[in-house]
Amino acid sequence: MTHIIKRGTREYENYSRDKLHKSIVAVCLSVRASEGSAATAANATCDAVDVWLKTRPEVTSDDIRRIAGKALESHNPDAAYYYLAHKHIV
Amino acid sequence: MIDIYVALAIIGLAALIHASFQLGVSVLTLLSGHSLSVKRSEFRIFRLTTSFVFGAITMTLLLLASLTLFLADFVTPENHFLIWSIISGLLIGVGVAVWFSYYRSGPGTSLWIPRAFADFLVDRTKATKRSAEAFSLGLASVFGELLFIIAPLAVAAYALLLLPSYWQIASILFYVAVSVSSLLIVWILIGHGYKISRIQKWRETHKTFLQYCAAAGLIILGAFTYVNEVLGGLL
Repeated sequence: MTHIIKRGTREYENYSRDKLHKSIVAVCLSVRASEGSAATAANATCDAVDVWLKTRPEVTSDDIRRIAGKALESHNPDAAYYYLAHKHIV
Repeated sequence: MIDIYVALAIIGLAALIHASFQLGVSVLTLLSGHSLSVKRSEFRIFRLTTSFVFGAITMTLLLLASLTLFLADFVTPENHFLIWSIISGLLIGVGVAVWFSYYRSGPGTSLWIPRAFADFLVDRTKATKRSAEAFSLGLASVFGELLFIIAPLAVAAYALLLLPSYWQIASILFYVAVSVSSLLIVWILIGHGYKISRIQKWRETHKTFLQYCAAAGLIILGAFTYVNEVLGGLL
């Protein structure tokens, strides 16, 4: 199981595909993608992140965000942009 | 006595500078993005964003009216030039601050406002479900940028005070309408189904331009009021 070091608090938590999936679906819906295409993009993104995590026992939440954003780019560029940008809006 | 057209021009430019500040637009973008992500209906999103805009309008109106009332208590013929000098200094000082440090360095449109307050706004945005909450978020987003908007508000308030009374209400409404125009544009775009990622991308691409416009506007307005009202009055 890969450990995630959280941004800011530096606390650890276990990687959760489900949590990542929900956040990708949410960001796709934010940019007005349909629910079907949001689920497809989220599945593909989570698969890409799972592959990347296989050889890494410990990563930061920023790493996950960067890799997921990159994987999402080919499925929904608008969602990928918003996924990477939304922590830096305010 | 200040010329009416000069006072109106000062109020107009101050309102345009106010409109170029971005906290309200940032929070509105986040609010609509979050509402879409939790599958709220378009009507619900419209209600929330409209309440937010009304909150921002109300707070701008209240701040401007309060500042005008506050200045009205202070102004005497003896300290008229002193107040113009203070306002000119405030405009130039805030202009320099905006020039160097309006946005935080790095990607995105993060502003140099206290992080605790920014986090509070983000958390409140996510928790907002009702129109009343969106309205208070609009109030808070204007108040949160007080550090920057105090300069255009102060100069507009003082210029308002020097206008004949029948011009004052119209000028207050004019200031509020212009100052929330950027928010209204984003509200209309969201209402028409525009993607918030595109709005955010546009803001990020043009953030330096907007920052320098606001800073240059403040410095020019500060220099103008000092030369026209202080030096012009003394000479």
